[in-house]
Amino acid sequence: MNIALRRAAYAILTAFVVLAVSVTYIQVIAGPDLRDDPRNPRVAAWRTGRQRAPIVSAEGQILALSTPSPDDPKLYERAYPEGGLYAHTVGFSSVLYGSQGIERTHATDLVSNRDATISGVLHGLLGGDTRPRGVRLTLQHTLQTVAAAALGQQRGSIVALDPTTGAILAMVTFPTFDPNDLVGANAFAAGEALENDPDEPLRNRAIDQTYPPGSIFKVVTTTSGLDTGLVNASSEFPDPVALALVGTDSTIRNSNARVCHDGVSVTLEHAFIKSCNTVFAQLGIDLGGDQLGRTSAAFGFNTAVPFDFDVLTSFFPRQGTIQNDPAATAQSAIGQRDVQATPLLMALVAGAVANNGTVMVPYLVEEVFTSDGVIESDAEPTIWRRALSPASAAVLSDLMEQVVISGTGRGATVPGVRIAGKTGTSEIAGEAPHAWFIGFGPVGAKPGEPRIAIAVIVESGGDFGESATGGTVAAPIAQQVLAAFFGI
Amino acid sequence: MTRRAEAGLIVAAALIASVGVAIVEFTRGNWLNAQVALTFLAFVASFGGVHLAVIRWAPGASSLLLPTATFLTAVGFIEIYRIDSEAAALQRWSLLVAAATASMVLWLLRRTGVAVFRRYRYVILAIGVAFLLLPLLPNSWIIHGATVNGSRLWVRLDIPGTLRVLSFQPGEIAKILITIFLASYLAERAEAMSVVSRKIGPFKVPEPRHLGPVIIAGAAASLVLIYQRDLGASLLLFGVFIGMLYIATGRSFYVITGAVLAVFGGIGAYATFDHVARRIEAWLDPFSHITDAGYQTVQGLFAMGSGALTGSGIGLGRPDLIPAVTTDFIFAAIAEEMGLAGSLAVLAGFSLLIAAGFGIAIRSRDRFRKYLASGLTIVISLQAIIILGGVLRLLPITGLTLPFMSYGGSSLLANMVIVTLLLRVSHEERL
Repeated sequence: MNIALRRAAYAILTAFVVLAVSVTYIQVIAGPDLRDDPRNPRVAAWRTGRQRAPIVSAEGQILALSTPSPDDPKLYERAYPEGGLYAHTVGFSSVLYGSQGIERTHATDLVSNRDATISGVLHGLLGGDTRPRGVRLTLQHTLQTVAAAALGQQRGSIVALDPTTGAILAMVTFPTFDPNDLVGANAFAAGEALENDPDEPLRNRAIDQTYPPGSIFKVVTTTSGLDTGLVNASSEFPDPVALALVGTDSTIRNSNARVCHDGVSVTLEHAFIKSCNTVFAQLGIDLGGDQLGRTSAAFGFNTAVPFDFDVLTSFFPRQGTIQNDPAATAQSAIGQRDVQATPLLMALVAGAVANNGTVMVPYLVEEVFTSDGVIESDAEPTIWRRALSPASAAVLSDLMEQVVISGTGRGATVPGVRIAGKTGTSEIAGEAPHAWFIGFGPVGAKPGEPRIAIAVIVESGGDFGESATGGTVAAPIAQQVLAAFFGI
Repeated sequence: MTRRAEAGLIVAAALIASVGVAIVEFTRGNWLNAQVALTFLAFVASFGGVHLAVIRWAPGASSLLLPTATFLTAVGFIEIYRIDSEAAALQRWSLLVAAATASMVLWLLRRTGVAVFRRYRYVILAIGVAFLLLPLLPNSWIIHGATVNGSRLWVRLDIPGTLRVLSFQPGEIAKILITIFLASYLAERAEAMSVVSRKIGPFKVPEPRHLGPVIIAGAAASLVLIYQRDLGASLLLFGVFIGMLYIATGRSFYVITGAVLAVFGGIGAYATFDHVARRIEAWLDPFSHITDAGYQTVQGLFAMGSGALTGSGIGLGRPDLIPAVTTDFIFAAIAEEMGLAGSLAVLAGFSLLIAAGFGIAIRSRDRFRKYLASGLTIVISLQAIIILGGVLRLLPITGLTLPFMSYGGSSLLANMVIVTLLLRVSHEERL
């Protein structure tokens, strides 16, 4: 009789052990997920209702701040004084939509980590600093403002960076949105409207969208020719009206459907300045698809770009896929067909030429500072990869400067500053072309002299539509940003 | 443990309750006020009163039960006060009534002991079943049933000439009466019921006529389920029947048959009743039913997950976001505001109470007292396991109160009486 009684008692006490294990699982192991679940209404009070430290621009312009809520003195409201200008970089911290941007990646710095998690408790017990910390970005408010104004109401993106460090100086995308709408009273309706907008205002086109690079890719093709020793700036190429592509009926023509120079022969330099497709298609065929692929990879194509946010990977056809297809190789060599690049990567390509062939890891956060202004951690520029040899970089630098002096990139001229650049007009079947410009300045900078590399893309020709080219649409936008950077 | 230590621990638990109330007041921007003192007084008066009644009428009783019950009541009370201070004021009155009733039970049994129940076994059964059916009284009577949240568990007395209503859940008392009946019935019949006449496969099967009680248990549970739409009470009643049958006969046959019946009953209920089907679907995947049937479960999980190790602090969480938080989901509120530390303390408290209850049963020489003690302990255990399992998503959610901790006078009174009966049984075994 007592045997059955004992068994029943053990069974019931075992059930309590199961309950204890279960509650431990829910509170400790699944706890962080449950706590941060966007459907958990506490997220409202904790994540957005708690005071968050400010996010500021490089100059200290306040981009995000917390103010006490008028309804509840214990809660805070997050505000973004610059509205849509930093929507995709600063991001937002919303009850309904969670957080994005720096608000998300630096949430543990921005919010006091004196909380009830195991790590939070241990951190505090071990004497760690649990105060919230502010974030200073690398973005320059003046440059960001000029860039956004220059792009205006045209869909597209601008990325400007310091080629010697990788610090992002401006990152603009249009269309944009006002993050204040997503934290305010009508957040739900505002969010729905943004998600359903066909122009995708929530997308950061600088890193989360790829485009065919078109002629700006000729910087990569030229690098391939120079680094392999196959050509130099004065190498001669045939100058046909159209380059027949072996094995197909199609041809490659120059954008004005004429010869590049005199119809007989043309130098690489002249072809680069005039952006002649026939010459670079031929150079691509001579190099072969695999060699172009290796050079692209050196610039960071087909590789995840290390950055504060996820960057869409830029694409060049894989080894072996176009090696035996001269037509595909020719089109790829002028940045068409399947080649795809993000504006950020193309800014890094320009930066590689500016920085003697070295690509730095791009970054957006200059420093994290405590409430009393002590800098807790600051950015340490690191090399990402070597894209081309210093000698090739010097040749390309010269070629790109000639583009701005006398070629397709004249629109980017900044008086008194040696600017280098390359334009691109990438064709899309059935649509107006995308207008590109990549460039940098000053050419031949002395050590310590401020430098900037830039990529500009205007989707579907922007305000110019079908008649748009990189030279007419994108170069003048880059010019405004460059001029602002050099204070002219 | 001595009576003196028991008194000390009761005062300590009363202090926990009043300090908790002080913390809640502090988070509201108030300083010490009358609520803190009233809470301390109510706890000392009620549990201290029962303690004195034990000294007077059951001096040999175990001293483990009362301090543990005081502790559980105190922790629950803090959360009730934090969520709904007006309800907590009512709960203080309920506590005094429950303690007075418990002391009265000790006084009534002072000479006869629990053996008196055996004599009136069938009267007790009749009252128990009547109590169980009381909520079915038509709404037009002065004493009438009432449907709350889809379950018909309440009886209300409209006090003539006023708008005041006295509400009571007779099912809480019925479960005690039915347990007393079962203990006494089994004390006489168990031996016959454990006689094994044949085997089916590996199972030893008793005489077919002894299957009667199991079938009655199943039928009673289904009646409760069908007419009162109360999944929790039905499961509790059935579990107590089966548990006591097993303890009395030592035949796992009853447990296996019971489990099979419960599974088929569950499947049948799932197929037949919409409200059961919705609950089971919300149990299996609460997050995809987050807007309706799974809402309460998910809010409970969010609350507990947000509590982490040490909790948000009393008064600083948002347990008010959970529906029915002071009754069904009081545990989730404790887990959120007092963290894993608080929730494990509560589970430890229940384990201690239950281990003490089973200890009394194991040490009992008298068959009836042994069954009574184990039956009452199973009532508290199963009720806690069913509702905690629901909150922790190990079981579908059912509307049961967590003994001693949930808001509700009937539940508090019933559980106080259960502890009193256990105290009386342990006293009689020491005589």
